[in-house]
Amino acid sequence: MALVDRRFFALLAIALFAVLGLILPQGARSLVIQMMIFSVFAMGYDVCLGLTNQCSLGHSIFFGVGAYGAILAIVHLKAGVLTSLAGGVGSGLVFAVLVGIVCVRLSEAYFVIVTAIISAVFHLLAMDLTWLTGGDDGLSVSVPPFALPGVTLSLYQPLVNYYFVLFFLAAAYLLLERIVRAPLGKIFVSIRENEKRVRFLGYDVLRYKLIAFVLSAGLGSLAGALYGLTLRYASADYFSFYWSVLPVVWCLVGGLGTLAGPWIGAVLMSLFQYYVSAWFTYYLLLFGILVLVILKVSRKGILGYILERGGR
Amino acid sequence: MSDWLLNVLFLLINGLVWGLIIALISLGLSLIFGVMGIVNMAHGDLYMVGAVLGFSLFPFLGNFWLALLVVPVIVALIAAPMERFILRPYEGYHAVTMIATVGISFILQQAALAWYGGVPKKMVDPWPVTFHFLGVDYAGYRFLIAAVSIVILAAIWLFLYRTPYGVLIRASIQDRDMASAMGIDVNKVLIATFVLGSVLAAVGGVLAAPVTQVSYLMGNDVALLAFIVVIIGGLGSLEGTLVAALGLCSLEGVMACILSPTQSRAAIFVVMVAILMVRPRGLFGGAER
Repeated sequence: MALVDRRFFALLAIALFAVLGLILPQGARSLVIQMMIFSVFAMGYDVCLGLTNQCSLGHSIFFGVGAYGAILAIVHLKAGVLTSLAGGVGSGLVFAVLVGIVCVRLSEAYFVIVTAIISAVFHLLAMDLTWLTGGDDGLSVSVPPFALPGVTLSLYQPLVNYYFVLFFLAAAYLLLERIVRAPLGKIFVSIRENEKRVRFLGYDVLRYKLIAFVLSAGLGSLAGALYGLTLRYASADYFSFYWSVLPVVWCLVGGLGTLAGPWIGAVLMSLFQYYVSAWFTYYLLLFGILVLVILKVSRKGILGYILERGGR
Repeated sequence: MSDWLLNVLFLLINGLVWGLIIALISLGLSLIFGVMGIVNMAHGDLYMVGAVLGFSLFPFLGNFWLALLVVPVIVALIAAPMERFILRPYEGYHAVTMIATVGISFILQQAALAWYGGVPKKMVDPWPVTFHFLGVDYAGYRFLIAAVSIVILAAIWLFLYRTPYGVLIRASIQDRDMASAMGIDVNKVLIATFVLGSVLAAVGGVLAAPVTQVSYLMGNDVALLAFIVVIIGGLGSLEGTLVAALGLCSLEGVMACILSPTQSRAAIFVVMVAILMVRPRGLFGGAER
């Protein structure tokens, strides 16, 4: 029952995004593009925290690596849009496997701390290796046009950019929905519910945790690559701690383990940031207070709450 | 002795002095984790608050020692309600405490930015004396830091291992439920531990203020180092924390003669990963409770 509701919500949201792209004015449209990119990130993070209960505070690594993978592929290899996107996701996956191998074996407290430490070290290195990353100033590129059968498109056209991102949001959602309904997804959820019992049943828990971690990080780097390509820019700031905390907040606001729920979180937080940071200099102060309030009010999140109401 | 060796010795001593400050800070972090199951992401920011308050109050108080006494009291007044009203319900849920303290960390940083400003400032040396030793000049204040840190560490050790209150805290680290069942008022132990841990961070901040740049973001760097120390030493293990703090900081100090600060931090990080691969609970970490 709940599953049907959730899919209904997700498809409705995708349809809504598709319509909004046509009717929104330019400024609002670029805000929605950002929301959709963050939704990919949030949904990916949900695989980690919501499905397998691995609370990572290091997902900025994959966001940053994804963005830099795409941007550097354009700068140094003269890659096209799709190749550079693949480059971003590919390099994200490589780092995800490396980080995952170190981290998934650790107990919860060590896992959160070590992922946070790794992302802090990546941030330091990204600031330091200016010849590669451009440091705090970052790297700007011009994104080449790309050809689909019949047409040549450019991300400089706002509508193309919009539907380009929407396509990947929908594709990522369908992929994850398929995985959640497959035996693999069942194992993920059982690890969340009772890790010890899954181990007693003979499953290699660490392997599945690693798969979930890499899948989650892969979507994080897809989001990073999309963000980099949309802004045509990447900077060391993408590795900062803020980008590791955001997905946690999105998932907590939207509802853990619901895939599409974190979209609500991403949309609401983007609106919050857009409007509040405009009139209040110490926006992060309110962000901190918000984190505490969200933790206090809800562990289930908005979509989790709606689905629970609907299930009764 | 050759110049090169003297240089290494100088860096080693600098590293050790810094290691003593880091030991104070990480000990607080480790104590808070061990007793309460809180992964305190705001610990570095309590250090920052200590340094910022030390910097700002020093001109008014006119006496560094007075600042070293007054600042911890203020930080204790900040820390106690933080534990009681924000963190109490999440204690033991490591990931949740970590997210909650991230929120607190943002609040403390932005409050410091609003009150103190964004420009890093340099504090005047409260004890401008230099020692001449083996052909190298040492700032006297660094020895003062070392002496004060050693006295505090010794006092903590005496408190934990030679007083009835210390027994209560150590009993709560070993088995909180059993401690509670034996009639220990665990709530009092919790708030006392959190305040003690936070005060250690703040004292570290006041001591470090004259030898670093005081800014609202200075806690991030120290928090990173303190967490690496606590992970390598083993979460909740006090002796492991002490050993790891002194060992890592002298290592980082010596590495400064061939590597840049970021590179030596990365090297420390590689050491941490290597240790975790062999011992997932750090050097002195015990079994899961």
